[in-house]
Amino acid sequence: MAIVNRTPDSFFDKGATWAEDAAFERVRLVASQGAEIVDIGGIKAAPGTEIGAAEEKARVVDFVARVREEFPALVISVDTWRAEVGDAVCAAGADLINDAWGGADPELVDVAAAHGAAIVCTHTGGVTPRTRPYRIEYDDVVRDAIDSTLGYAQRALDAGVAKDSIVIDPAHDFGKNTFHSLEITRRLGEMVATGWPVLVSLSNKDFVGETLDLPVGERLLGTLAATTVCAMAGARIYRVHQVPETRQTVDMAWTIAGRRLPARAIRGLQ
Amino acid sequence: MTRVALVPGCLALLPEYSSLEDPVDELRSACLAAAAWLGEDVRVIAGAQGARVASALLAEVGTAPVSSGEAAYLIVANGSARRSEKAPGHLDPRAAGFDDVLGKALTTPDPEALDALDLGLADELWADVGPIVEAADLLRTVRTVAVDYDDDPYGVRYWVARWA
Repeated sequence: MAIVNRTPDSFFDKGATWAEDAAFERVRLVASQGAEIVDIGGIKAAPGTEIGAAEEKARVVDFVARVREEFPALVISVDTWRAEVGDAVCAAGADLINDAWGGADPELVDVAAAHGAAIVCTHTGGVTPRTRPYRIEYDDVVRDAIDSTLGYAQRALDAGVAKDSIVIDPAHDFGKNTFHSLEITRRLGEMVATGWPVLVSLSNKDFVGETLDLPVGERLLGTLAATTVCAMAGARIYRVHQVPETRQTVDMAWTIAGRRLPARAIRGLQ
Repeated sequence: MTRVALVPGCLALLPEYSSLEDPVDELRSACLAAAAWLGEDVRVIAGAQGARVASALLAEVGTAPVSSGEAAYLIVANGSARRSEKAPGHLDPRAAGFDDVLGKALTTPDPEALDALDLGLADELWADVGPIVEAADLLRTVRTVAVDYDDDPYGVRYWVARWA
């Protein structure tokens, strides 16, 4: 799942794909690099200028329609917590609503159900969208993430979302300090064991930066190390900035885990 | 007329060593066609690893080796694995000449020439020819020969051949 930001201020690309044509070029690039899903977002996750639903829709709805037209087989995800936006993007051809904010808008599941769309159920510890964690603690962060995402998944099921259209995401860094995100990574297998497909969003995040004491532009190796751990545990979707690097990392780990064949092995087997 | 086929003991033919992209797709196609051509009752003449390759190929075409009764024969053998610098056994300049003699003996066929192969040299050249020497007598009465594959894509000389 490749991140495509239609934002002027996201933390990693800092507006590089703010212009529609630049964002579209990124879609073409990541699709050619092996991304199976694009995750289009119109609002950066961190606190900042208030972006209303109308502005958010202006940033993403027509863009989704354009991507749908050129890439009929690409899975289109939209990163939004608003039901109103979810409704509009699904009408424009989106397949998946990536609600990074844990169901803050209770009507989002109804929108997904109405459109036959899929939904990502994230764990945020109950924080308000676009806020940073502040002194949040858990008795057991993994237990909390499982209970919360499974509760959200049940709400989606009850609303009529298809069972195979629900994904859970522990949401690294969202409502979590670095120790929480590390523990989630270390124990990701417990989330996988729930049977729901698990999405991880690790890419260049602060828990990587704080672990290695590195700024945003220097977190690729740490991201890939965390990606390997999650792949070994069985995570199914990786929301990323760097597609080829992630593709190779996941393919390698997935093959080590015995879930994928080598591309072409002949050494010693002639 | 007894049907006899030869395939190489290439381990990449085994299902447990499958890749996303088959590195031996042409070889595999020829081997499977030859195995299918043998019919249902097939005796295998092979070493231990070669017998696994034979069983896998026969399983792919819906049969299994038999040990008695009238049957066709599947021989698992191949030429030198020292045909180039990238070959498993590195380059031995004697490999090409050895394989040329072996190839001619197989495709003629010439059972006497197979009987006369230098097995010591074969060992040095990593040529797994024991089963074909063992089976040479089977080729005394054959009237037709078809060579379906004759190549060394990874430094090992493979033949897929059918006699009847």
